Amino acid sequence: MLDYVGLEADLGEEERLIRDTARDFVEDKVRPDIADHWQDATFPTEIIEEMGALGFYAPNLDGYDLPNVSEKAYGLLMQELEACDSGVRSMASVQGALVMYPIHAFGSDAQKDEWLPKLGHGEAVGCFGLTEPNHGSNPSAMETHAEADGDGYVLNGSKTWITNSPIADVAVVWAKDRSDDENPVRGFLVETDKAGVTTNKIDDKLSLRASITGEIALDDVHVDADDVLPHVRGMKGPLSCLTQARFGIAWGAVGAAQDCFETALEYATDREQFGQPIGGFQLQQRKLAEMATQITNAQLLAHRLADLKERGDLRPQHVSMAKRNNVRMARETAKTAREMLGGNGITGDYSPMRHMANIETVYTYEGTHDIHTLILGEDLTGIAAFE
Amino acid sequence: MKVLVTVKEVAAVEDEFEIDGTAIDEAYLEYDLNEWDDYAIEEGVQISESEDDVEVVSVTIGPERSEETIRMALAKGADRAVRVWDDSLEDAEMLDVEAKTNLLAAVVEEEEPDLVLSGVQADDDGFGATGVSLADEVGFEWAAVVNDLELDVEGGVASVRRELEGGVEELTDVDLPAVLTIQTGINEPRYASLRGIRQAQRKEIKPMTLDDLGLSADVAESDLEIVDMYEPETESDATLFEGSPDETAGQLAEVLRDGGVGQ
Repeated sequence: MLDYVGLEADLGEEERLIRDTARDFVEDKVRPDIADHWQDATFPTEIIEEMGALGFYAPNLDGYDLPNVSEKAYGLLMQELEACDSGVRSMASVQGALVMYPIHAFGSDAQKDEWLPKLGHGEAVGCFGLTEPNHGSNPSAMETHAEADGDGYVLNGSKTWITNSPIADVAVVWAKDRSDDENPVRGFLVETDKAGVTTNKIDDKLSLRASITGEIALDDVHVDADDVLPHVRGMKGPLSCLTQARFGIAWGAVGAAQDCFETALEYATDREQFGQPIGGFQLQQRKLAEMATQITNAQLLAHRLADLKERGDLRPQHVSMAKRNNVRMARETAKTAREMLGGNGITGDYSPMRHMANIETVYTYEGTHDIHTLILGEDLTGIAAFE
Repeated sequence: MKVLVTVKEVAAVEDEFEIDGTAIDEAYLEYDLNEWDDYAIEEGVQISESEDDVEVVSVTIGPERSEETIRMALAKGADRAVRVWDDSLEDAEMLDVEAKTNLLAAVVEEEEPDLVLSGVQADDDGFGATGVSLADEVGFEWAAVVNDLELDVEGGVASVRRELEGGVEELTDVDLPAVLTIQTGINEPRYASLRGIRQAQRKEIKPMTLDDLGLSADVAESDLEIVDMYEPETESDATLFEGSPDETAGQLAEVLRDGGVGQ
């Protein structure tokens, strides 16, 4: 795939092997059927355990039989998965960054022992419940709440736009603890087969179709005191998970755009009109030059982010900038690539329009484009526009 | 039990390339693990997973660059590796079957494996002879183009199925120690997992020079010489039928009849 300034030529051997493994796996096992899955609105569930066996879930975490690879290697993995489809990367992002990460960072030893190996190997599926029907960009106003009850809590509320909730074994549910004077947001591990939990599937999506999305309804769900993530209180819990996941998105968006670019380039050099390949015309060359430049910019940002993350200097605002920029770049690139494919570009035979539709979700979830704009605005001016 | 798996880093040529003298210009080459060797590694690793006390050692002949290829073997489950290289090998224009046989024979002498697995052939130079030649040199039994393997470790026998021409298959029992050349399709090679790739970083790749192997520089000398490298003229003999299905079916039938197929 496009690597115009040779960033990947400087990868270490381990990182290159990880990129190649992910690329080969996707090429052989996922790409051949992904357009059909997208059309049918299904996820290739058979790859859930295969990706676990390969160590694709939270590979940047340590212990519990997790690979503990570098942040750059993790980013490259997300890039390769999203080059296939944003739904495939979303599966790995949710399982790793939104479910395993909070258990790893904030969980008790017993919670870690129980869940991390199973989730890491894809033998269990997790989901992350933060967004609610009436609280999207402002999750701190959430209504879902917990009340102390005997030796545990009772949870009530509803969550929506939850990737994998209909197939999940466990949900990390964020809820306000009303039995605490400060009413803090706490994380609860809720097994989805508990009484009072329902996880309806959301149908008729026009984006991210090869990904299973649902709701989580909590109706007097009893959880034990041991099911609370003990080491975090407040919005820092869910927000720190999202920083992890958005880091992956910043890389994934590069992958989706690279795939669009490669498809458009190949088409432009094969397809002949007016006696020459359409890539020989100035209008098409300009599109290619622009796409390649923007992809390279985004790729540079992603690589820099990995270096900052590796040495502990990454701030959430850095990730906001990268998520915002790179997803916008992928959105533009997918649209331009689709355009270059002419009529053929509106079929499932070519990836750009599928990416284009997917990116609408990626542009919106994990902090919308506009919200990240405001986060940067606040960081630059010291004045929060959203408070 | 010790299994030695020989692996080779092969050059893959890009679609568009240029020939520089008697070789393809380096700029158009990418290097990868030889496809057949991938199956040989998988077979070795499967043996180590199903039998007790099996060590899988991977060996390659190649420059430092080829460590990445052999690291892939380690990531897939080989226990350690040996990489043979030397300045005098670097200078050789070509390492022929005889040279590789002698190099690998020296490694076999050093490692004393019970079983050597090699790919049937290399994807680039395609001599397809190194495995069998090695068996001959070290005095091992051998079987070529193996597409099924049952190992009786205690009895010291490898029962193999060999793929012959014309769809014929042969079942043979081969006494160990033996060299088997492994055919694609014998198994389904695994992907290196991220856990495996991490573990591979801590596994040993032992560099060995000709000195280490007790060989002299003339091992690289060859009776073979590459005299030319060129792209063959391509002849296209495709017939394109045009018209309705009825018409094209009729045209196809005519071609088949003329070709002696059917009446």
